[in-house]
Amino acid sequence: MSDPADLWAPLPRPTAFSATFWDRAGAGELALPKCDACGELHYPPRRHCPACGGEALTWTAMSGGATVVSHSTVMTSFHGQDWTGQLPYVVALVDLDEGPRMLTRLIGAETTARGDRVRVTFAEVQGRRLPYVTPEEPA
Amino acid sequence: MSARDAIVLAGIGETRVGRLPGLSSVELQAEAVLRAVKDAGLSLRDVDGVLNLGPYVQPSSMFATTLAEYLGISPTFCATIDVGGTVTGMTMIQNAIWAIEQGQCEVAVCTFGENALTGRAQGVQGLKMDNLLGGEEWEEPFGVQGMVIPYALLAQMYRDDHGAGDADFGAIATVTRAHALLNDNAQMTKPMGLDDYRASRMIATPLRLFDCSLVSDGAGAVVLMRAERAQRLNARQVAVRAVAQKTTHNSAAALPDIADLGMAEAGARAFEAAGMGPGDMHMLALHDAFTISVLITLEALGFARPGEAGALARSGDLSLGGRWPLNTHGGLLSQAHVGGMLHIVEAVRQLSGDAGKRQIEGARRALVSGNGGVFSVCGAMILEAA
Repeated sequence: MSDPADLWAPLPRPTAFSATFWDRAGAGELALPKCDACGELHYPPRRHCPACGGEALTWTAMSGGATVVSHSTVMTSFHGQDWTGQLPYVVALVDLDEGPRMLTRLIGAETTARGDRVRVTFAEVQGRRLPYVTPEEPA
Repeated sequence: MSARDAIVLAGIGETRVGRLPGLSSVELQAEAVLRAVKDAGLSLRDVDGVLNLGPYVQPSSMFATTLAEYLGISPTFCATIDVGGTVTGMTMIQNAIWAIEQGQCEVAVCTFGENALTGRAQGVQGLKMDNLLGGEEWEEPFGVQGMVIPYALLAQMYRDDHGAGDADFGAIATVTRAHALLNDNAQMTKPMGLDDYRASRMIATPLRLFDCSLVSDGAGAVVLMRAERAQRLNARQVAVRAVAQKTTHNSAAALPDIADLGMAEAGARAFEAAGMGPGDMHMLALHDAFTISVLITLEALGFARPGEAGALARSGDLSLGGRWPLNTHGGLLSQAHVGGMLHIVEAVRQLSGDAGKRQIEGARRALVSGNGGVFSVCGAMILEAA
């Protein structure tokens, strides 16, 4: 299942803080919190810097480039009928070029491999744009 | 004898496992506790410490006091501990030792069990474990739910690290299945060869059905007390030489590389505290929610070099009669998934010399491992017949 037109997912239930992440994604931008004090970028977003505890964080746009760390093609869903229509789908663990690791889903390809270059892309699910990855176009 | 040796595991209890419709989680835990207390030669009235982990399949709070009320006892130390399914057992034991050492209680029971197979909410296919990994906002929108996919990501990493394949993963599944066939209280009763493993259906690549542990109803329990009392009762006496734990993350969204998981540190600290090494162990009771868990743990604890755990399993060293028999009760993969409790029960049983037809001759020391989440919290415990 890699046709973006058929994507389904339970939508996130953001906190007041994390809502910015999803709102920026909705606008087609992957933005992560960067600590004003120590410069650490982190993911998943939280209100306190996990490197120094700092509370002054600036949402910072990522380039969208990433490299695959691991992946799994999900063949069986134990989590309700809603997922059945998505099978098979590919979950991808990627390292963003800026450093943070992100768990997401690969779309636009049947599979991937460690070290593959991907880029963040946004696809609409139930009226909301979510950040996925897709293979980087050949140079 | 060190101060820690003064407190021993003196009783074990295990319910039937598998499909036990109509039994609630508290009833299962109570049955395991009653059996463990009787096994130690005591009665419930002697129990003044209760430690447990609440069920994952139903929402619960204050489950240790729920259990105490059910049992009709009034403990002076009561606590529910949750650091994840298979590391909680040894963490309960560590807390029980501290409580007894500090005079908070004299006889402590530690238990976990639930009706995970038959007690799930109607219409829900997967375990109802909201916030299991604490990261559902960052997981569910991307199709990551439950435990299989996080472990599949680790399994793919392991394959890419070492060029490992079905023969390595299948070796763990088949070794533990062979052991389960020697356990009358096991869900899996048919032999499994590598061909059977390969023929099992793919769940989430590279994990097949036979890479995954069972879903079970059941419970296990242990009783701790001072060694002098256990001697007077002529009860089992298994000392806890060391417990060590390491937490590195929680959710699959924060999954590190295999080399950065906490099991190596937990194991090294446990071995150091006990003054022992892998060569001193006579049996292994390792977390095996998935075959990949065992491969990673064997290497992190120093029983195999990186990438060679599958070869170790194929060599026969992990089978009964080998150097380090692995999960002689069948483990989570082939006996039942009751957290880590039945690993601990089995280790105590083996070190007490009453494991029947699967007894390891001369077994005196056991390494027990557990983890919570996706190797998020790792623990290692070393037990020795006192």
